[in-house]
Amino acid sequence: MFLCLGVSVMAFVLTTVVPGDPALANLGDRASSDPEAVRLYREHFGLDKPLPVQYVVYLGNLLHGDLGESEQSRRAVRIDLAEYIPATAELAISSMVLAILLGVSLGVIAALRRNRLTDQIIRVVSLGGMSTPQFWLALVALYVFFYKLNWVPGSGRLDAIVLPPPHLTGLFTIDALAAGQFEVFANSLQHLILPACVLAAFNMGLFTRFTRSAVLEVLENDYVRTARAKGLPELTVVFRHVLRAASPPIVTVVGLAFGNVMTGTVLVENIFSWPGIGQYSYRSATGLDLTAIVGVMLFVAIVYILVNMVVDILYAVIDPRVGLA
Amino acid sequence: MTALLSVRDLHVWLDTARGPLSIVDGVSFDVAAGQVFGLAGESGSGKTITALALLGLLPAGARTGGSAIMAGRDILAMRSSARRRTRGREIAMVFQDPTSSLHPMLTIERQLTEHLRYQLGLSGKEAHRRAVALLTDVRIPDPEAAMRGYPHQFSGGMRQRIQIAIGLACEPRLLVADEPTTALDVTVQAGILRLLHRLCQEKNLSVILITHDLGVLSSLADTVTVMYAGRVAESGPTAQVMGHARHPYTRGLVDALPHPEAGDRALVPIAGDPAGPESRPSGCAFHPRCRYSKPSCRIAIPPLIRIDDGREMACPVDPLVASIAR
Amino acid sequence: MSTAAFLSRPMSSAWRRIPGAWRQPLTMVGLVVVAAWLAVAVLAPWIAPHDPLAQGPNLYQAPSATHLLGTDELGRDVFSRVLWGARISIPLAMLLVVLAFMIGGTLGGLAGYLGGWVDELVMRGADFVFAVPTILLAMAVVAALGPGLFHAVLAVVLVSWPGHARVVRGLVRTIMQSEYVAVGRLLGSPIHRALAVDVLPNIAGPVSVLAALETGNAILLLSALSFLGLGARPPDPEWGSMVSTGAQHFEAWWIGVFPGIAIVSIVLAFNFLGDSLRDAFDPKTIIKARGA
Repeated sequence: MFLCLGVSVMAFVLTTVVPGDPALANLGDRASSDPEAVRLYREHFGLDKPLPVQYVVYLGNLLHGDLGESEQSRRAVRIDLAEYIPATAELAISSMVLAILLGVSLGVIAALRRNRLTDQIIRVVSLGGMSTPQFWLALVALYVFFYKLNWVPGSGRLDAIVLPPPHLTGLFTIDALAAGQFEVFANSLQHLILPACVLAAFNMGLFTRFTRSAVLEVLENDYVRTARAKGLPELTVVFRHVLRAASPPIVTVVGLAFGNVMTGTVLVENIFSWPGIGQYSYRSATGLDLTAIVGVMLFVAIVYILVNMVVDILYAVIDPRVGLA
Repeated sequence: MTALLSVRDLHVWLDTARGPLSIVDGVSFDVAAGQVFGLAGESGSGKTITALALLGLLPAGARTGGSAIMAGRDILAMRSSARRRTRGREIAMVFQDPTSSLHPMLTIERQLTEHLRYQLGLSGKEAHRRAVALLTDVRIPDPEAAMRGYPHQFSGGMRQRIQIAIGLACEPRLLVADEPTTALDVTVQAGILRLLHRLCQEKNLSVILITHDLGVLSSLADTVTVMYAGRVAESGPTAQVMGHARHPYTRGLVDALPHPEAGDRALVPIAGDPAGPESRPSGCAFHPRCRYSKPSCRIAIPPLIRIDDGREMACPVDPLVASIAR
Repeated sequence: MSTAAFLSRPMSSAWRRIPGAWRQPLTMVGLVVVAAWLAVAVLAPWIAPHDPLAQGPNLYQAPSATHLLGTDELGRDVFSRVLWGARISIPLAMLLVVLAFMIGGTLGGLAGYLGGWVDELVMRGADFVFAVPTILLAMAVVAALGPGLFHAVLAVVLVSWPGHARVVRGLVRTIMQSEYVAVGRLLGSPIHRALAVDVLPNIAGPVSVLAALETGNAILLLSALSFLGLGARPPDPEWGSMVSTGAQHFEAWWIGVFPGIAIVSIVLAFNFLGDSLRDAFDPKTIIKARGA
């Protein structure tokens, strides 16, 4: 709750105490030639009122689920968000799944092969993932797999001639499967794979490092020796006993990464022309579109809070000693 | 007396940056079927490592030498997969601290049944029934409810009983108990020891009881081997070793014990600190702390010599003789 | 206890374990690469073969002997521009980490020392920064103040102070709550002395880890903002904006690829350093402080 309020105040202040005038930015040349247009614009968006009044009005609207009207698209921000969120959700979730699967397995392997060559190689790979600028990785991937090899499409969520599947979740892959449209599914998967992989690189590295240190810490515990003393195969020991105990810190970092995955999506969506809120927020930022940015920030803060709640629930599920508050 | 397990000339080395470090240095003993074998010594004497070597659970970088014959097979020479199948099924281990040795996030049922299902191929239902029987065996009240519980819901003594049940699940012939009572309240210790004793008799189970507490040994062990700095100092039937200690170190240990019947006789501590594997003295590792040491003790490692009735000890100075000679 | 005691690594102070960290090959690689880039940043005017801003007649030239990494859409020498780019990114990133530490360290120190509502406010603020994706916040700042390198730096400082604040606050609190300080208080020794004697030396370790990792992150974030056109502006030879130029000229891949490799190499080097330092120091404090 505090976070939501904080986000709204901060974002509001940040983008309102601006040297740039949204009216001038959006009206362009008309602004200088037509003062009446500027006045009407300001009146239309309530920009002529004092700032605190603007904020209170804004907050009141928020409580009704009204995020205001975007100055660029001239539509309610809520509608804009509803349109763009599924695309970002599909991209973000699939990249997170990839990053978790790869990162956790690499981290486990690195921990089991501690200080050996394998560990060093994984260290280089994971730190490499965390050190590579996502915008550059996206471009290199596009250059190689689209421009040179033409294995995957270069932009968008579907080929232009393919119709989106009937709306269910807004995630094209899932909707297509649900509707039994396997060609649409294949097409959307082809579009998804490259941006998802690029987006996964950073978090894959992050999860690898955290999994490695968490598993190393658990391996020191006596109960791992107990599990081995029972004659259980090493894989069972690692996956049932060690990983279970190592998962709380991994869950924490995954939760934090979920909050921050938007950073990558802004860049990746722009490069892959992915019609999600990353692109939307970038357009809004460059267009000084106050309401839209605040809307995106609020949405992200809500996601962050939800993810944190899920993390807390997962804690309690994983560890019986943790009581649900 | 038929030996269930014969350990001969067991060595354990640990690879370190400065080369291999000898931790267990030529230890031999026999464990008889259905008896309690005591392994005594101070911290760092190599007794836990000896046990881990028998289960094949040594830390990475450790190597073993010698042999350990159990049922005609040398378990030290087995391939790791065959070795794994002996764990739990032929040799099981109960560790010192029941709090840290049980997985905090898994139910008791899971921890009791997973190896039953894996090792013995029992179905979920059979394993459940067997687990309840085991919990009853170790005197856990309301076993059905306990199965659904987690370790943190039990007291230390109960956790240790659960650990013993886990160890006994696959009906091993040998149970290695490493300081099973050290982490427990004194009032609970006796119960655990009685339990081990009873199981030993009922199930014809052999137990290797590792402890630094000679009091525990004297009440439970049939035979005892005292280790110092990775070597056997003295071994033999418990009553004789404890009653008539011959090695100066064993004697020191016995003298350091409070005896209720001895009245206000002063306790005699052993001077100095036990020698860790990194800094073992030359010759007899005990010589810097030994009241009877002679110049030759610093040079030659005393061999284990047989003295009457199945007893052995590694000291050229017989304290009985020496103390009379003074 | 018995044998486990000596099997586990003997406790020694973190600083004493550092020589071990230096022996690792990756640490050496990181050190050498960072040193090399620092040298490049200082010496760029003398070692760059061409003027980074000078436009030439040869546009879109593939890498050759005269233009080691080719030329860009205005005929500028990519190699020289990459070298000069070090003069922008590295000093800025370092300045930025120093600023973030000064701000975060002060806030975190106050929060840990004063506790109460100050602590609450600072930590809520840190939570807030964690809740909003760094680039979104940075974009908002830059959009508010207008694009430009200086504003981008401010934006990155704004999103990177909480890590430092958490480390410093954690250390201050640990020491304030220690029995040692409690005893000192009873004996009349002021708490300031304990803080000066204990916090400062203890802070050096975690902060140096954080600084190494944050310098890498700062370079990434700065270049990302420049890539989006919110940081450095053309014709400045900033790596991120050079990649952005390259994005518009796919056929001339060298325009965008080499500045990217420059970013990867220096960020990776800083991460190698930070990772080894983290192994040397207590890993937990940093993990907690860095969050994501």
